[in-house]
Parts: sequence; C-alpha cells; structure tokens
Amino acid sequence: MKSRLNEMTQEFRDADRQERIELLIDLAKSLPPLPDRLAALKDATHRVQECQSPVFLFVEPEDGRIRLHADAPIEAPTVRGFVALLVESLDGAPPSEIRAVPDDLVEQTGLTEILGMLRVHGLSGVLRRLKSEVARASAAPAS
Amino acid sequence: MPAPSPTHPDVLVSTDWVQQHLDDPKVRIVETDEDAALYFQGHIPGAVEIGWHLHLQDQLKRDYIDASRFEALCSAAGIANDTTVVFYGDNSNWWACYAFWAFKLFGHADCRIMDGGYALWKAQGRTLTKDVPQYPATSYKVQKADPSAIRALRDDVLEHAKAGRQLIDVRSTDEYTGKKLHMENYPQEGALRGGHIPGAKSVPWKEAINDDGTFKSPDELRALYEKGCGLKPGEPVVAYCRIGERSSHTWFALKYLLGYPNVRNYDGSWTEWGNLVGAPIATGAEPGKI
Repeated sequence: MKSRLNEMTQEFRDADRQERIELLIDLAKSLPPLPDRLAALKDATHRVQECQSPVFLFVEPEDGRIRLHADAPIEAPTVRGFVALLVESLDGAPPSEIRAVPDDLVEQTGLTEILGMLRVHGLSGVLRRLKSEVARASAAPAS
Repeated sequence: MPAPSPTHPDVLVSTDWVQQHLDDPKVRIVETDEDAALYFQGHIPGAVEIGWHLHLQDQLKRDYIDASRFEALCSAAGIANDTTVVFYGDNSNWWACYAFWAFKLFGHADCRIMDGGYALWKAQGRTLTKDVPQYPATSYKVQKADPSAIRALRDDVLEHAKAGRQLIDVRSTDEYTGKKLHMENYPQEGALRGGHIPGAKSVPWKEAINDDGTFKSPDELRALYEKGCGLKPGEPVVAYCRIGERSSHTWFALKYLLGYPNVRNYDGSWTEWGNLVGAPIATGAEPGKI
C-alpha cells in the first residue's frame, strides 16, 4: 500500500510548475494552526535554523507514534506549503517511517524549479531538522 | 559643504499612489518575490509576475537574460517602452529592487518602486487578488542599454578595490567579518571563503529601511551612509551582498533616493568573490586594504 507521503510526492511529480504552485498554496492554506500550548513556545528552540523563513517545528512522541505540529508564515507559501505537506503526510506516523523519508524529497517533489537552485537548501533543512528531532525523540526513554 | 546631489523622489511611490493608478493604462505593476508562489496566492489587482530566477535570469549560465528575451518578457507582460513600471514584492522589496535594476540594465526609462512592498500593501488591508491579468502584447525594443554604468563585473571590482575606491558590503555583520558564510537563518549557498572585499565598508541593507519596510528619509539615509560610513556622494561606489539582491536594494537607495551619480551593483557578489581563485579577502570588523 502506498503511504500518504508517496501519494503526495507523486501528485507533485505529475504536476507542472503552475500546478505545483497551486498545490503549495492549497497546502499552505490547510496547515492547521498550532494548539495554544505550542503557540506559546514559538521560540528559538523550535525554530528551524536552516530555513530563511521562520519555521517552527514541534515533534511529540505519543504511543509509539510521532505527533507533528508546525507553523510558517502565510507570506511564504512555498515554505508553508512544504511544511504542510510534511505535517499532513507524516503526523501520526511511526518514527521509522519518518526516518525513512528520502533526503531529496524537495527535489522529488519538483520544488527545485520553483525555488531556484540557491534556495532549495532551506526546505531540505526543514526535513533534516524533522528527521533529527524524530531520531532524538524516539531514542529518549518514555517519561 | 557640497550641495546635496539631486535625488529622484518620484521613483519611490506610495501604496496610495499605486491604488490610484490601478487602472492607469500607462502604468504596469510588477510583483517580484523571493517566494515564487506568493504572487499566485494573492497580488495587487492588475499586477503581473516577473520572477527573479524564472524570468530575469538565464537558466543556463549565471547571468541575467539577454536583450531579445527581455523584449519578449516585456512584450508578453504588456509593457511598452513608455510604460511606467512599478515594482513591489516580499522581503522588503529585495527582488523588486533587483527587477528594477534589471530593467535599468536594459535602459527602461520609467521604473518605480512601491515603498513598503507587499507587506505594507497587505498590512494596510488593501485588496489582493488571485486573478492573473492578460494585457495586449506590445512590441518592446531595447534602447540605449548601458549595463556597465550600473553593473560591476568581478574584474571591475578588483580594479575598483585596488584603486581604493568606495565599496559597500550590505550583508549582515557576521557575513562581513567572515564568521558566517551566509545570512542569519539562510542556507549556506556555496562560498568557500568568508570575509569581505578589502576596503569594503559594512552597512547592512536593513539599516536603510523603517520597521514597516519603507525606506528611511533622504536625510536619515545621508546620515547613515555619509556621516556613518564616510561615503562621498560624487565618487564611484560599488555595492555587493551575496547574490546581488540585497545590494540592489542599497544600490536603489544610493542612486535614486540620494542621487549619487555613479553607483554600480556587483551582482556576482560574495557567491562569486568568495569562490574566486586568487581574489583578495579581508576578515574581521575592519575594511582592510589590498
């Protein structure tokens, strides 16, 4: 069976540039707001330093799965859309699934063409941060 | 005291001015953003999108597009040689200033910047639309292009620096001193060496704007560049950053808001200089010299 991430990646891959932009805008719009308890924690600790836009990522283990929350500015729809793609496809996934997400997801979704070569690294940074947070969270003893 | 250079205040237009000219057939509003999806999420009614890398830069070699592609770009956007083109965008108009600079490379006569850019238009609660306009095509012809007057290539910059002429580094302090190879929170974009071009003075681009993204007044800008870092208005200046967009912003302020006669943007900037074999580099807080 295909994972949600595979489906969404495929959808991006099959789309042309304009359709990808529309997918990003729709995703950006659909990103759920942070729960109040997390919105209060939007600080440097939860900010993805690699990304030029202020992206905040919250990774919480829950019954052997990962709960994922994130926020990014609505004025940066490419970044917010990519973050929303991660949240929609990976919230509630087991840690092993998130660690197995391909490192070149940004390229696989065809976003390089939209971002320009120079700005791809920021989005890849969001994914790297997610994977390292998940590795850390799932290695920590259950409290 | 020498008399202040003549400025070009009409080149900077307000959001009100743009609002009043939304239906003016002699005016074309152009959005140029860092985030290529932003235009399609909502833009000023009637505005066309011109992308900094999709439209203005050559996709093969590192350069801006050639004259025939510029003509095609303008013709398709309904821009004629006598159209007033108003640029705005995200990130405090970085790329809007870059697009303005690119249009000037091709000698377009009437270019303006909407002060405050996308963020101010939105903050003022003005209308944004997803409707992409279509304009009748024009037959644009490049006239009187003299890129060397406003663009410095690496050899020009080396010669300029060796002669001890004025250089402005508009990157962040950490990039200038060599502590960081990239802007705060930005990805490393591939420079092998950190620091600045010897002799360059540091004036981060952001010091030229207010909190709402609008440019500071000419008096404040003069205090910043002339009192603050000793720029002499009548002498040639070269501005650079990392890929040439932030320095377009400073180039605009110096050339149009302060009226300096000879300002060039080094668009190769640090991603070229910091990788160039044999190029002299200074580190630390002092300009240094060659």
